[in-house]
Amino acid sequence: MATGSVKSETQPMARVSAVLSRICDGALYLAGIGMVAMTALVAYQVFSRFVLNSSPSWTETSAIMLMNWFIFLGAAVGVRENYHMGFDVLLYVLPKGSKGALRMLSDLIALGFGFGMVWYGCKLVGLTWHTIIPALELPGGFDYLPLVAGGVLICLFSAERIAQRWSGLDIDKDINLEDVPEMPAVQEA
Amino acid sequence: MELWILFGVFTLLMFAGTPIAFCLGAASFGTVLYLGLPPLVVFQQLKSGMSAFSLMAIPFFIFAGDLMVRGGIAQRIVSFAGSLVGHVRGGLGQVNIIAATLFGGISGSAVAEAAAVGGLMIPQMKARGYGADYAVNVTSMAALIALLLPPSQNMIIYSIAGGGKISIADLFTAGILPGLLFAASLMVTAYFVARSRGYPVEQFPGFARVGQLAVIAVPGLLLIGIIFGGVRSGIFTATESSCIAILYALLVTVFVYRSMAWGDFVHATKGAVRTTSMVLLIIGTAASFSWLMAYLKVPVLLIAGMNAISTDPLVVLLLLNVLMLLLGTFMDMGPMIIICTPIFLPLVTHYGVDPVHFGVITILNLGIGLNTPPVGTVQFVACAVGKITVWEAMRSIWPFYGASLVVLGLVTYIPAISLWLPSVFK
Amino acid sequence: DTVLRSADTHPDGYPTVEAVKYMGDLIKQRTNGRYSVEVYHSAQLGEEKDTIEQTQTGVIDLNRASMGPFNGIVPETAVPSLPYMFRSVEQMRHVMDGPIGDDILKAFEAHDLVGLAFYDSGARSFYNTKKDITSIADLKGMKFRVIQSDVFVDMVNALGANATPMAYGEVYSALETGVIDGAENNWPSFESAKHYEVAKHYTTDQHQIVPEVLVMSKASWDKLTPEDQAIVRQAAKDSVVKMRELWDAQEKKSRDLVEKAGVKVSEIDKQPLIDAMKPVYDKYLSTPELKDLAARIQATK
Ligand code: NA
Ligand code: NA
Repeated sequence: MATGSVKSETQPMARVSAVLSRICDGALYLAGIGMVAMTALVAYQVFSRFVLNSSPSWTETSAIMLMNWFIFLGAAVGVRENYHMGFDVLLYVLPKGSKGALRMLSDLIALGFGFGMVWYGCKLVGLTWHTIIPALELPGGFDYLPLVAGGVLICLFSAERIAQRWSGLDIDKDINLEDVPEMPAVQEA
Repeated sequence: MELWILFGVFTLLMFAGTPIAFCLGAASFGTVLYLGLPPLVVFQQLKSGMSAFSLMAIPFFIFAGDLMVRGGIAQRIVSFAGSLVGHVRGGLGQVNIIAATLFGGISGSAVAEAAAVGGLMIPQMKARGYGADYAVNVTSMAALIALLLPPSQNMIIYSIAGGGKISIADLFTAGILPGLLFAASLMVTAYFVARSRGYPVEQFPGFARVGQLAVIAVPGLLLIGIIFGGVRSGIFTATESSCIAILYALLVTVFVYRSMAWGDFVHATKGAVRTTSMVLLIIGTAASFSWLMAYLKVPVLLIAGMNAISTDPLVVLLLLNVLMLLLGTFMDMGPMIIICTPIFLPLVTHYGVDPVHFGVITILNLGIGLNTPPVGTVQFVACAVGKITVWEAMRSIWPFYGASLVVLGLVTYIPAISLWLPSVFK
Repeated sequence: DTVLRSADTHPDGYPTVEAVKYMGDLIKQRTNGRYSVEVYHSAQLGEEKDTIEQTQTGVIDLNRASMGPFNGIVPETAVPSLPYMFRSVEQMRHVMDGPIGDDILKAFEAHDLVGLAFYDSGARSFYNTKKDITSIADLKGMKFRVIQSDVFVDMVNALGANATPMAYGEVYSALETGVIDGAENNWPSFESAKHYEVAKHYTTDQHQIVPEVLVMSKASWDKLTPEDQAIVRQAAKDSVVKMRELWDAQEKKSRDLVEKAGVKVSEIDKQPLIDAMKPVYDKYLSTPELKDLAARIQATK
């Protein structure tokens, strides 16, 4: 979506972008599967308590873990597709040159924060690896793996945007109301 | 100095157009580095801030909303509302509000509501000669009804943020009358604006057709009873009700309306993942930001400041309302609830305000903030559907702001509007 | 002039919060103002799992937390957490004040924490919205909310009831609406969470009498001189006395309040309940060391 058209002089970058595009699609699909699985788990929890009269202790913890995975994956996809919500009004009135500089700043911030997610996420995994998540009998470090995975993807995707902008590709649209969120098609009932 | 870094970095980055999630995250990261604390606490709070079970209401209600739109539940409700009030002056505006009220009873998210009702109504309104700004403003304001009418993801978030001791069933019940009052005030406003602009009326389709459309809409509308009844009678918790909404929407669209294809389902899922992860990433980084505010004792400073101004509960509520309206222009609702509730709730309960009542005030107040730039999610969505800029919408939104502020005043100073209905259900 | 930051999930005025403040006063006095303690109450800095990680990494200096969240980190803490491990509050205090308590405190050191003292959390018992429970048979088939912990789930199931793990915040509504029949907690929490408004039957089975822990970050500890370390350790010990005084008063106050509000308190013969715990002990006392620790606790008068 946001990657725009690829010029011929940027062939190596186009190849990298194609790979990242597939990674991005994969992440979005995994996130979607995670959300559907979470729905199924919570539905099973209600069913189990109301119909079977017994509540499994693992459903809530695992549903939360799935939620973490799909948020961090989806958030990374959001960096590549540029759908994270921001306050664009100043960009709207600024001349194009300084607008590009501010967009660059935003991507650098995302890159830095993504790096923090990886680096400190790994530290948190290490810190909690020898503890146990009670309901799941898993090492506590599993809690922080989504943070690390999301961080890696955010780094990749924001670095891609920085490189693309650096090489002169136009990846920044003006405040583009057309693709803020996905809109339903209009149908007559 | 620490506070200057925290708020300064946030404000500067926000004006530079950096996504809000990263503004909050970078401000927290920078402050922790300045303080010399191990930065891993920022990322720990990021993760744990989005790990409460109750937060699942957000993805669930957004997903359910997407399914209701793709599967045709929303269209049928709009058609039914159209047959009811289309013949009033500026009829499509009234249709929009009635549809939003009915849909608000099954939808827990204002964004889903704006996308659903707006997606159907705005193009129709534009085609019939209504101004795009009018169509957008009616849609974005009416979408706020979903916040007040049960179910409501934001009331669930308020309950968690308040320490989890506030009954969600009571909050849900307390929102009903304010929600209907808000709907009524919008209908009156929409009517007068429509009259002054000379908007058309639709033909009344006859009672037979109204009845027919009502029957068609019933399977979707039944969800109102299922959710409210299910939560009140204890079959499922409020958070679980959002999951039930998904199952029910699937059931109705796949087996009753037979209007949900696999492609629609995939599309709805992807859309919900995008919206949810955007919202919850902000909630996560808001948790890091809140952690630092607590560490730096901001709530204590704020309460001290408030006490210095006044200790009269009426004045305190007025000041808090003004403060929340100001903050709500800059911040999204979910993070605002998470940041503000732990600070404001102890303050107002100290002055004898009921936590459920304050919940309704908070939801309505911050809800208005969803329609104020610079950060107004619902307004963005409605503008996107109407294909106009926020500035174009702002030109004519003022009568609707006026109406909402009147309702906010009534809800703030007449607690019975919120608290009477829950007392009946006790 | 160093401020030691301490986390607590309980609200201001709660015995544990006040005890840590008291300890802070002692430290300030005894170090001539070089050190003081600031308590961040009401979970301002996060839930216990979070604040424990913050303490381990030196983000904060002190932490008062319950035993449960340590079970996955320090295996020894799982033993006093087991249901019906202590016969009475007096026996628990006696055990934790003695060499067994010291051994458990020492076990924290391997995990970047310094165990300073044990506080009380009273005794947890069952309460419900349905009926007076006076024998194990009355528990059969009832749905009790428990914390997200396998030990609690297994205990409740071993007693013939149904365990429903649920977030604390959902409990009030769930009791009110009948999603669950009851829950379990100590007197002060039963009162402060207002669950007594909806659950009118309390049974003093005292299934869990587990101490809480005050720990210090190893990183913060190592910055202290040996003399200051001794001052901190002694102040922590001294605060235990204060804590128990406050706790006993709070417990009595809460119990009186809820009884006045119409809660019916029932006694129950504990022996059949204790006997039902055999499979639970077999499952959780997984190593000879833990079995030995449990035997030592039970053998203490
Ligand atoms: Na709603
Ligand atoms: Na706003």
